[in-house]
Amino acid sequence: MRLNQWLAAGCVVAVTIGLSACSSTSSGSSSSGTSAGTTSAPAVSNLVVETSFVLKTVDPARMFEPTGLMIDHVLYDTLLTYKGSNVSTPVPDLATSYTASADAKTYTFTLRQGVKFANGDPVTASDVVFSLMRTKNINGNPSFLMAGITATAPSANTVVLTSSTPNTAIPAILTNPALGIVDQSKVVAAGGSDAANAATADKAEASLNTTSEGSGPYTLTSFSTTTQVVLTANPNYWGPKPKYGKIIIRNVEASIQKLDVLRGESQIAVDLSPTQAQGMSGVQIVNGASPNLFFLLTNDNPKVSKVTSNPKFQEAVRDGINYASLVQLAGTGAVQATGIIPTMFLGSLPTGSGATYNLTQAKADLAASGVGHPTLNLVYPSDIQVNGISFGTLAARVQQDLQQVGINVQLQGQSIQVALNSYRGGQEAMGLWYWGPDFPDPADYLNFLPGALVGLRAGWVKGADPSLEALGNTASGTTQNSTRETLYQQILRSMNTSSPFMPLIQPAQILVGATSLKNLQSNALWLVDLSELG
Amino acid sequence: MSSASVTEPAVPRPRTGARHRDLRRFLLQRLGTGVVLLIGITLVAFVVTHLVPGDPAAANLGQRAIGDPAAVAAFRHQYGLDRPLPVQYVVYLKNLLHGNLGISEQSHRPVLTDLAEYIPASIELALFAIVLSTVVGVGLGVIAAVFSNRWPDNVIRVVSLAGVSMPIFWVALVAFYLLFFKLGWLPGGGRLDPTQNPPTHLTGLFTVDAAVHGQWALFWSALRHLVLPGLVLAIYTVGVLTRFTRASMLEIMGNDYVRAARLKGLPERVVILRHVLRPALVSIITVAGVAFGNLLSGTVLVENIFSWPGIGQYAYHSAINLDLPAIMGVSLFVALVYIVVNLVVDLLYGVIDPRIRLS
Repeated sequence: MRLNQWLAAGCVVAVTIGLSACSSTSSGSSSSGTSAGTTSAPAVSNLVVETSFVLKTVDPARMFEPTGLMIDHVLYDTLLTYKGSNVSTPVPDLATSYTASADAKTYTFTLRQGVKFANGDPVTASDVVFSLMRTKNINGNPSFLMAGITATAPSANTVVLTSSTPNTAIPAILTNPALGIVDQSKVVAAGGSDAANAATADKAEASLNTTSEGSGPYTLTSFSTTTQVVLTANPNYWGPKPKYGKIIIRNVEASIQKLDVLRGESQIAVDLSPTQAQGMSGVQIVNGASPNLFFLLTNDNPKVSKVTSNPKFQEAVRDGINYASLVQLAGTGAVQATGIIPTMFLGSLPTGSGATYNLTQAKADLAASGVGHPTLNLVYPSDIQVNGISFGTLAARVQQDLQQVGINVQLQGQSIQVALNSYRGGQEAMGLWYWGPDFPDPADYLNFLPGALVGLRAGWVKGADPSLEALGNTASGTTQNSTRETLYQQILRSMNTSSPFMPLIQPAQILVGATSLKNLQSNALWLVDLSELG
Repeated sequence: MSSASVTEPAVPRPRTGARHRDLRRFLLQRLGTGVVLLIGITLVAFVVTHLVPGDPAAANLGQRAIGDPAAVAAFRHQYGLDRPLPVQYVVYLKNLLHGNLGISEQSHRPVLTDLAEYIPASIELALFAIVLSTVVGVGLGVIAAVFSNRWPDNVIRVVSLAGVSMPIFWVALVAFYLLFFKLGWLPGGGRLDPTQNPPTHLTGLFTVDAAVHGQWALFWSALRHLVLPGLVLAIYTVGVLTRFTRASMLEIMGNDYVRAARLKGLPERVVILRHVLRPALVSIITVAGVAFGNLLSGTVLVENIFSWPGIGQYAYHSAINLDLPAIMGVSLFVALVYIVVNLVVDLLYGVIDPRIRLS
């Protein structure tokens, strides 16, 4: 039958075309091996990094997203920085040394000599002042880092930061890539401004998303908020030359990152959860606790809830949560939060000193509270994950634990944008949230105290705990690290006994890399330092 | 003489000039309707977006910046959110007339620039998928109709049912795992290999741009990257088109004029292709048009799995960030897609069936 012959011929042609399209492997993929289940060293000095982009810009004065932090860290030098995974002590970067006044209000930095921007211009104190004041005055996401701080340049080699209040966190704050130093002349030429009206006057973002104007180990080659960002090694970099001549950072969903790194299509996968990383072979896995902190809040404002503001009820919740089961749920690498300050920061409490699960005590607390067996809504963002942990999963486990205490929790998962409104407005009776560090210093966690940013979200108003607030004031003005550590630990112990916050877990932060990579380390601030890789 | 002219009374053909006038009037009417529809879409998108109990400032500012009134005020001023809602809408429409869709709150770039970057990627993928699915779907539908209730038909019906039944994200993950990870036959995500730079920009369709500029290595890479997401997207549409083609053809095959054509001794190939498939194409094109619109505007999951930087991903990120200008821009684009696709489908009716053109 002729029709049949035609159809048969069509099938043969289709199969032939299909097979020829499939016949060659990913030969164009340059930098990496392609055999399944193995990873190999790049043939050329290219590095492919895959992450789920949280990226809006790489203009340091406007950037404050995880992917942006990772990129800007290698595009822009900062006065101080951290090496590897150690975020306890800032080390010199553009500043070779600094001194702090006894009242923690004045910091004087001496700049490194002979440093040049990627374009060959020398880095001067004027560039530093311009960069810091631009970030401050743009009123963008990272502007709070410079709140109350003024930068001046008394000499070509010296920068002075003056704070209106004692600020012991300034050295830690200055490590943030949002305070990266840009070339003033080039940024001004592109419409940049550090003036008081920079929020409206500065027009340099588009330019900085095309050409980086920094002195870091890499320069920006191409930028897209959804596809990939390409970096090229800076030939004028003053420090150790980075190993990779070109870094391609691709926006890839986590489950695909796993397959790509296993096939050698990429060398680093940033966003795998403990479950996804489990059982992977032929790769190196860097697994440690993340500085992100999941916590539960029980609103202290009786107008929001007479139940959750009851101190005995708060104790019942604190005692009634099975922290070990939450850690198990979060997977290998996760740890119980011993307090609101993550375990890797100064002032945190040692492992094992967090709240403990005691069901009998929790039931006794609930009985003593006199609220009976209340039914409460637990609000959480249902459409986001942090370090691969879903809020919904965690909330369900909390619900289960509190059910045994006698507290009926109704899960109220909401879109993050909706949930944020009630959370930031201090209107949630119970909420499940997380806090990521703005800078790796315990001062960042003073936000949880009564009357402060997060404290108010839990209805914890100023004057609610005068002794704790006094401790906080003392801690914020103390410069001695050993004294600071003692003070912050006192704060945490007090909050672990009585506060509307119940710190739950720090999830695992996992990096999966090709075995050929050397010095792959996880960093609490910028995930991974791409310039340190060997 | 076609069988249509045997069964249908002859319709007097209008003069060429009159036909052109009619076509012009038809196009103008559709254009006017389209403009009204687009304005309506902007209003609906604007109102619905503002009904969501969320705050764009909260969605886009960090946890510290949202606590800073100066930062919040700067954000609201920058995106015009400090004005009354009716004023915001009127300003939007005014800017729209000048081709200004506003600045995206997530990318900090003009929405038009964003759309110009993402739309070509979606068009390229959708075109690949619709061509593939039309060829395969209609082909399978014809075979199924010709061999109705025999084993080829049974096999094709099962295959097409599977095509429309399987969740697309699952198909995407399985295809990625098998064809990329296990077998290595096709590349993984993205439009090109990681270390390749895009071809010289002309249309934004990488295969076209690379071919036009003779960048054959890039062309081959772009084509190979299209295959996997294109196949996944095509599976559902193939299923739908196969079922529609089969059903339409079987309905037409029962008509007297088809029997008459066979009795006249016309070859079976001519009967099937000219007297059965051609009239069936009217409904097939309708389905294919809608499918193309869907492919162009609703491929979020596939784009996400294959790291395809298309309009679906942009729409998704716009929605979760409450990025009003971007949401409006995407809504306008989607509306425009359906308006244009419907117009093209209507015009194709006339090409396929002269009776429609004449009436």
